[in-house]
Amino acid sequence: MSFIFAVLRQVYRNFRQTWLSQFMTLLTVSLSVFIFAFFYLVYNNMLTIGDKLGYDLRLIVYLEDEPIPELQEQLKRKILAFDEVEDIRFVSRAEAFERFRSQLGDDQDVLEDMPKDFLPPSIEVVPLKSLRSLNQVKLFSEYLSKLPGTIKVQYGQDWIERFYYFTRLVSIIVVLSAGLLILTSVFMVSYKIRLTIIGRREELELLRLVGATNNYIRTPFFIEGVLHGLLGSSIGLAALFGLFTWIKMKFSGPGILNIFEFSFFQPPAIIVLAIISILLCTMGSYTSMRKYLKK
Amino acid sequence: MSNQPNSTMVELIKVSKHYHPNIQALTDVSISIRSGEMVFITGRSGAGKTTFLKLLCKMELPTRGMVEIDGIDIRRLRGKGLAILRQNIGVAYQDFKLLTDRTVAENIAVSMEVSYRKPNQIRKRVKTLLEELDLTDKHNSMTGDLSRGEQQRVALARAVANSPSLILVDEPTGNLDSATTERVMTMIKNLHQAGATVLIATHDHTIYRNTDDRLLELRGGQMYQLRDGVMQ
Ligand SMILES: Nc1ncnc2c1ncn2[C@@H]1O[C@H](COP(=O)(O)OP(=O)(O)OP(=O)(O)O)[C@@H](O)[C@H]1O
Ligand SMILES: [Mg+2]
Repeated sequence: MSFIFAVLRQVYRNFRQTWLSQFMTLLTVSLSVFIFAFFYLVYNNMLTIGDKLGYDLRLIVYLEDEPIPELQEQLKRKILAFDEVEDIRFVSRAEAFERFRSQLGDDQDVLEDMPKDFLPPSIEVVPLKSLRSLNQVKLFSEYLSKLPGTIKVQYGQDWIERFYYFTRLVSIIVVLSAGLLILTSVFMVSYKIRLTIIGRREELELLRLVGATNNYIRTPFFIEGVLHGLLGSSIGLAALFGLFTWIKMKFSGPGILNIFEFSFFQPPAIIVLAIISILLCTMGSYTSMRKYLKK
Repeated sequence: MSNQPNSTMVELIKVSKHYHPNIQALTDVSISIRSGEMVFITGRSGAGKTTFLKLLCKMELPTRGMVEIDGIDIRRLRGKGLAILRQNIGVAYQDFKLLTDRTVAENIAVSMEVSYRKPNQIRKRVKTLLEELDLTDKHNSMTGDLSRGEQQRVALARAVANSPSLILVDEPTGNLDSATTERVMTMIKNLHQAGATVLIATHDHTIYRNTDDRLLELRGGQMYQLRDGVMQ
């Protein structure tokens, strides 16, 4: 009990003496947590979107002619020869026309004068869930386009490709900002505590002379590290949550953002982030103490 | 630490202290001081009085010889053991070692805080000590602003605040007038009466002239006993 009190008194004194640099350190830690968490959140949501895109993914193989049942069986066997698939569906000219008409809804009348067979027949191939990486889909599409009688294969190449590249870019930024988080929290806290130790060298020496234990001298610096991690991650995440809510509110009308449900971190992720920040900051204070407070 | 009378509090056997590059501060000093004794140590400036006191609280290590406090060879003490030893030894340093940007009360409290005394206990003790040393009105002054005589008394107050069983006082009256010297000596004598072992290094013969305590002299790095103390 009195140990806790003594430690808190030391922490308070440290704070009173160096509150400005403490504040700057806290700000840096918060900011780097914010930056890292921001990109990580974006990345997370992109993964969710990517999953959804992948879920709806189908390859459409446009054919020159409507295949007779026998040819259908042959094509099916060829497709299955590449890989198992979730589903293969043949769409005749008539079906394609019907589908298009129902998609038009109220504007159906524009089709009035069109021949009912102007759309090509096609095969819709839904690949297995396991075949969802961009490269595999690409390979599959190349394979399908070489089947006899195909005009072309479509799966929204362009924008899926772009999306995957963007996701990868974001993942690189996540890694970089993680590096930033580690550097700032470990080095800033370590630097800050080093300054404190040097600034109070005289006092720390006196403390040893009057019989202060290592715990008495070191624990306050540990607590300082823990506090920087805890407060820094709380402030950073709270600010991110504020930004998140603001964006959601601002763009809650109809539009692209509404197609996808954006979500904030789940509590376990928040706790893990806080724990990691605390560990990093504590590590920072520990490295300084090891260097400057050895007995 | 035990306060058993007749047990040995301080034991030095053939202790020498050499300072770099070629200063032989102490040579083969052997001395035994019993628990509850009050001992004056004199000697000219540079005779090694401060060095002698520093060896007792492991501020300096002897070049040769053995130093035992209360039966423990302090050479082996480290970490927590050393901390506890130092909590039980109150030292009033010749150069005071005060934290000049802290108040008088805070400076005195330091030695009690490190042994986790309760805050109100600390407050009471600080108040009593300041009264005894005629410093009540300086409670909240920065020690850096005090006169040397006042600083000297704050250093003494810090040394004794935690009620240590061994008290080392280095030149306690150097900057004091005779009335204040009287006050300081009264306080030290009271602590001694209460059972503490007290070692005082001093040039000031007025403070030991009229006592019958043991008197030692350091001369040329060696310890001589000028007067045998009478143990109560
Ligand atoms: N850290 C040190 N390094 C080198 N020499 C030292 C050191 N400390 C003390 N000395 C030398 O050791 C000798 C004894 O010094 P000490 O301080 O013990 O004397 P003293 O009896 O306390 O003197 P005074 O009465 O002036 O306080 C002196 O010659 C001093 O110069
Ligand atoms: Mg001296």
